[in-house]
Amino acid sequence: MALNPEDRGRPGVAPGTPDPAGSGSLAVPSGGELAEPIVVPNEFWSSSNPAAYGGGQPPVITHLHQVEAAVDPGDNARWGALEVIPAKADYLLDLLRMNSLWPLLSGLSCCAIEMMSTATSRNDVDRFSMFPFRASPRQADVLIVAGTLTTKMAGPLLRLWEQMPEPKWCVAMGDCTCSGGRFKRSYSVVQGIDRIMPVDVYVPGCPPRPEGLIYGMMKLQQLITQRRGRWAERAVGPNVPVER
Amino acid sequence: MTTQIPSLDDPRVLVQTPATIYDAIPPYAPRTEREAEFYTLRDGEMLVNMGPQHPSTHGVLRLVLKIEGERVSDLDPVLGYLHRGIEKLGENADYHHAICYTDPLEYISSLFNELAPVMAFEQLLDLRVPRRAEYIRVLSCELLRIASHALFMGWMALDLGGLTPILYGFIERDEIVEMLAALTGQRMLFNYMRIGGVNGDLNHEFLSRLGDWMSRALREIEANTTLLNENEIFVKRTRGLGVIDRRMALGLGLTGPNVRASGIPYDVRRAHPYGVYPELEFDIPTRDEGDSYARYMLRVDEIKQSIRIIDQVLHRMPDGPVMAKVPRRITPRPGRAWAAIESPRGQYGCYAISDGTDQPYRFRIHDPSFVNLQAVVPLMPGNLLADTMAVMASLDPVMGGIDK
Repeated sequence: MALNPEDRGRPGVAPGTPDPAGSGSLAVPSGGELAEPIVVPNEFWSSSNPAAYGGGQPPVITHLHQVEAAVDPGDNARWGALEVIPAKADYLLDLLRMNSLWPLLSGLSCCAIEMMSTATSRNDVDRFSMFPFRASPRQADVLIVAGTLTTKMAGPLLRLWEQMPEPKWCVAMGDCTCSGGRFKRSYSVVQGIDRIMPVDVYVPGCPPRPEGLIYGMMKLQQLITQRRGRWAERAVGPNVPVER
Repeated sequence: MTTQIPSLDDPRVLVQTPATIYDAIPPYAPRTEREAEFYTLRDGEMLVNMGPQHPSTHGVLRLVLKIEGERVSDLDPVLGYLHRGIEKLGENADYHHAICYTDPLEYISSLFNELAPVMAFEQLLDLRVPRRAEYIRVLSCELLRIASHALFMGWMALDLGGLTPILYGFIERDEIVEMLAALTGQRMLFNYMRIGGVNGDLNHEFLSRLGDWMSRALREIEANTTLLNENEIFVKRTRGLGVIDRRMALGLGLTGPNVRASGIPYDVRRAHPYGVYPELEFDIPTRDEGDSYARYMLRVDEIKQSIRIIDQVLHRMPDGPVMAKVPRRITPRPGRAWAAIESPRGQYGCYAISDGTDQPYRFRIHDPSFVNLQAVVPLMPGNLLADTMAVMASLDPVMGGIDK
């Protein structure tokens, strides 16, 4: 089954269906326009077991709304021979974003050493597809604020955050960035970076072990897929007054 | 009209907002002669801002470089991006809490940050520390010195563009901090030294890890150093660069490996012995060249001496308690005390003043990184812009200690 480029322009008919006119199961749900799904032919993987995934039968489900309508697809949902993967563009893009997180190489103080330890061979965050620590904010996806943020550094850090292109995420590493930590009573320390910028994941600890940071980053990956493209929705700390 | 005190809850006061703080030229009129001279540009000169976010400034140091073509003609370090007010916090905490605040000063070697104030407070109290505690202090400090120097070797190469040695440096460092985590319960900010001793006795996991590591430590350090010692690019970029001669080293007040690389055998462990160092045999390695390469090689030699010290400590470790009898609430007599130790970066001192209450009236941390960093200013003029980091990395500053 190949993609027919002529099919793509026809409204209400999904591309790549074997029998576009006759199949009742492919009816478009009524009410509102349906964005045309992107259907990606599966050319890069096939099961070694010929009986798996429907045993080469023609696919029954090709679109996401069919998956959602199914009663209990379960883990062994028969998606036919997996010749197509139905997905929304956001879903695919989020998979890409999740699996190539490029953190910014920006350490403020103590936690930066543990952040570097996370990146080196013993802990090797490379395994979880978040390796290339970039030194330039323009090439980075994730800002790991590692270390105490002081009032003098707050301006430059905000500017770093603003220089990073969307979509971007922020991980607050360490007690100081979560709440002020042991410098809670200091005159020169920002009492939690969520007072000045949005934060996606908080990793407490003084400093957290590298395993803690890896866990936080895996939580971030989970969050990226769960938000499904709504990447701008972040938790903003409870202490930031809303400007009307 | 009342003055409104800015609330810490208001995010607007937390950010020093004017956009001009990002400019290389400060937004105010020059306040000193030095500022007026530095920020006046002649023909062909320009200012380049390096930091505070830069992968090799060892933290959040900002350097404003005045360059002429590719050569640096002058530079102005801007400090304070990591000022956390540690000394002030310590004045408002009691003596036991103050140690916790000094912990993250030089965060790579945090046991030393605890040891100096602890020793100063012990002097205020006229306290005698049990011998076993003294030996454990030496043991843990020397282990951390090796970890710090191993990281230095990696960083020095990283700042020159070589990525591999930092991986090996972190293998050694992680092995040692995991070992110390078995002893102290934390991987980095240990909070292990106590007034009158240490927090806990040696345990089985620490000793088995230590024995395992000691059996291969020298061999692994030797293997790691072969990556850099005779690497042609590394040697060409560091030998003869940033030479500090004896007069300059003394004039700047440098301490630690930086002054020993200039041929002056000043080591607090030998010059003003503390703890059980007088009973231990070790050499003070020195080098005569005073350049970046000598400072690198000197740290390699120090690692070997530290391994030698650890070996002796393990053979001589006495039995006994690890804590003296210290009351929970400490009220030393009014007075002053000064204690200095040899941290991996130099003489690390603490000057404590007591007024008879349970809180220190004032304690002042003398930090070697701060003193060593000022050598960058006279060293850089005339050198290439790309060599700034080669010189700065060889001085091994840590911004946490510099900004306090």
